[in-house]
Amino acid sequence: MGWISRQFTTRTIVLIPIAIAINVVLGYTVQTVLKLPIYLDSIGTILVGVLAGPLAGALTGILSNLIWQYAPGIGGGTIGPFAITAGVIGLLAGVWGQLGIYRSRPASRTVLILAAVTAAVVIGVVAYPILNNPAYTDPNIGGYPSWVFTAIVLIAIVAGIVVAGFILVSKDLAGFWVALAGVITGIVAAFVSAPISAYVFGGVTGSGVDVLVAALRQGGSDVIHASLGQGLFSDPIDKTITSFVVFIILAGLSRRIIARFPNGERLVGPSVD
Amino acid sequence: MRRTPVGFYRGLNPTTKLVIALSTAALAFVLRGWLVPLVALLVVGATVVRAGLGRAFVPFVLATIPLLISIVLVNVFLYPGATDTILVIGPLRATATGLTVAGQASLRIVAFALSVAVFALTTPTDDLLADLERRGMGRRGTFVIGAAIQTIPRLAARAGEVADSQRARGLRTEGSVWRRIRGVVPLAGPMISGALSEVEERTMALEARAFSAPARRAVLRPMPDDNVQRAGRWLLGLATVGLIALTVTGHLGLP
Repeated sequence: MGWISRQFTTRTIVLIPIAIAINVVLGYTVQTVLKLPIYLDSIGTILVGVLAGPLAGALTGILSNLIWQYAPGIGGGTIGPFAITAGVIGLLAGVWGQLGIYRSRPASRTVLILAAVTAAVVIGVVAYPILNNPAYTDPNIGGYPSWVFTAIVLIAIVAGIVVAGFILVSKDLAGFWVALAGVITGIVAAFVSAPISAYVFGGVTGSGVDVLVAALRQGGSDVIHASLGQGLFSDPIDKTITSFVVFIILAGLSRRIIARFPNGERLVGPSVD
Repeated sequence: MRRTPVGFYRGLNPTTKLVIALSTAALAFVLRGWLVPLVALLVVGATVVRAGLGRAFVPFVLATIPLLISIVLVNVFLYPGATDTILVIGPLRATATGLTVAGQASLRIVAFALSVAVFALTTPTDDLLADLERRGMGRRGTFVIGAAIQTIPRLAARAGEVADSQRARGLRTEGSVWRRIRGVVPLAGPMISGALSEVEERTMALEARAFSAPARRAVLRPMPDDNVQRAGRWLLGLATVGLIALTVTGHLGLP
């Protein structure tokens, strides 16, 4: 019981509604203004998970979705049933936080280069099954013009370069772990969301990702595999970007403020400046 | 002094309205087919008429349209494994199975969205939170939900202000997708850091008001509640759980 109450200090209770608001405002903006196949509605969730712990993170995620769905004045849309996914994302963020993933880890040049290369390889490995989906590779099946395949290859290459570059420029090994955490979170989120999307909505949600779902169905996937295919494309990208955003936000906060949060010491490290 | 709500539906206890909204939504989604979503929609429709919600309802209805278009298009033309074609337009084949699925999904979504809307339009947040706290949710829960609902419009307004001031400094936010993406970072940054800077102050303010003290707070204005509503909530809740259980285990097959 102590572990639970320790995560919910007054500071955490104050942070959670602010995090929920960040989730909803950013997610709404991205969905309605940008219409990209990413969501960016988990920044607050992951932030709370990392700062306060898995339960606080899970609660932030779940409440964000429910409030966005049911709140008088703001409510609407279809985000409610995905509260489960949001809860899982927050839970994982708390786990990463407790493992010290987001802690700054300066390292020697050789280690950094090794990490950068590994990160690029991991991104390639994750992108490979997506690239090989016939919906994307064969224009006859997928109905996708052939530039989409090139676009995905380009996105994978750019992502690899950006992550590797981040690791090398910031001289911080944490970039590697944050990217890894983001990719894993994204994959888990895709697997949790696919049955929800397929069962509740028949596979579409009215946001920018539906184009992907349509193409995958055209390629012969059934409902749940099409949802999964779309998720495995959007979620790892989205969660990795979000994880990096959270990492940058944490880097911008003063150590004193971070240290006061329940998970603070694991983020700041044992050294004294 | 706040006016007491008029009308049968508005006068119900907020928790009753919440239970109705959640049950309608759950039943519409889990009990697939035509009958239950249609009944749910009729119940919602009757409530809208009775509570005089008409015009305020329109934006909620309009909000479901993009989703419905997606659902209809994707399911009618691209339903996997369906062979009962009814219409051919170029390379796309519309199937009867797809049409049925699209129709049922649309009905479900609309019933769900509108039951949420009816609840949102007739229930002031403060009343709901006060009632839930009286039932034992605790002031921390009340604070989190209430503060979140208040902060969202405030943050959105702040985002607008940040956008305006960045635009005054020459930031371009209209135009191509790439430019819009580049426009997000200078907006999100100040917005998030501004929001987070409040955390310390608010924490101090709450602690100064004995936020984490264990004593229960006294309720000044209890919401009306009676035995009929209480019984009704329990019955509705149990019926919902029961119907869902029967459907999931395959014992109940409604049209």
